[in-house]
Amino acid sequence: METTRKWRWGINRWFILLFIILSIVAINLVAPVQPHIQVAPERILLEPLFNMGPLGDFYLVNTLPTLLIVHIFIISLAYMVRQSLRKGDLVPLGVAGAMEGLIEVLYNLTESSAGKHAKKIFPWFATILIFVLVANLMKLLPGMESIGVMHPYEHGHEIQALGGGWYNLLPGEAEVDGYVLTPFFRAVSTDLNFTLALALISVVMTQVIGVQAQGLRYFSKFINFTTMFKKPFFGFMDFLVGLLELISEFAKILSFTFRLFGVMFAGFVLVALVATMLPVFVPSLIYMFELFMGVIQAFVFGMLTMVFMSMATRGHGDEEHH
Amino acid sequence: MEGDIVQAAKFIGAGLSMIGALGAGVGIGLSVQGAVQGMARNPDAYGNLLVNMILGIAFSEAIAIYCLVVAFLMLFVL
Repeated sequence: METTRKWRWGINRWFILLFIILSIVAINLVAPVQPHIQVAPERILLEPLFNMGPLGDFYLVNTLPTLLIVHIFIISLAYMVRQSLRKGDLVPLGVAGAMEGLIEVLYNLTESSAGKHAKKIFPWFATILIFVLVANLMKLLPGMESIGVMHPYEHGHEIQALGGGWYNLLPGEAEVDGYVLTPFFRAVSTDLNFTLALALISVVMTQVIGVQAQGLRYFSKFINFTTMFKKPFFGFMDFLVGLLELISEFAKILSFTFRLFGVMFAGFVLVALVATMLPVFVPSLIYMFELFMGVIQAFVFGMLTMVFMSMATRGHGDEEHH
Repeated sequence: MEGDIVQAAKFIGAGLSMIGALGAGVGIGLSVQGAVQGMARNPDAYGNLLVNMILGIAFSEAIAIYCLVVAFLMLFVL
């Protein structure tokens, strides 16, 4: 017998009221400070870690620790699923069950659009989707963009000692030697290097899968001489369309990169500004919106990769056969 | 004085660059309109339409996000 528990507004609404009152008390004790907003990830250590020759210096920026956490999280997920498989459960429970559900949904989605090439496309799709999903949700954890080291800065804030080497930023701008906070953890997706790397992987592997599926005939999509001599005018048009396809392949890299980066960075700025101007209750609504946006963007990134890959496996004239 | 004019030009430029979001808004509205009409006429096609609708929204949203990135570059980088 299953009993469904009713949602108890009775108690939960008092919790919400309590949290609102607590946040009003908290902002009177610790005034919110508008963070220093910068597009490039901030450096935790001001000195470069090592030199990479012609590539320049390597700095420890604050998206790298977050990337490490994301990796640890995904690896531990994989480990838990493996433990459950080792035990030989036919009906996996907990994390393994949730992952099985997710993978099954994703695989059915791939199969419905890619058909027999689904096995080749699915790993790329699922890897990108899960990685971006975890990376986007990771930034909603408390303490992600608020705990860090202080660096001296020209237009910085005054600081207040809390004892034990800990300091607190004050809202007013300092006259002399102001400080600015560099958080230890910043969301990975707000780093252009991360999104560009994912976009390059996605677009390059699209070409590789296209060649694997169609052979060299795949490149006739880009440089199209096949109809040039049969129908002079439309053949030439086909050639131009092929060149446009070539350009759009590069535009895909740009659009993949800036879509994820733009949405996540906009979310970061939105949270920062709203939390400074309206620190009570409203930031939680913004956080809800950020949760939605993170999931949607991860889905869109993976989905577009999958659709482009399955389009690459399909040839130019295949539509006429069925 | 000169710094103030440069600052003002940055803010005006960032505001002007967001005009591009107009087209993306129209585009998203049109694509959702089409998808919802399709769902209302043929409820069985719901899942398929939803996926394609989200893809289409992502494409037109990308244009607005380019504008947003340009605005951010003006505000925080230049």
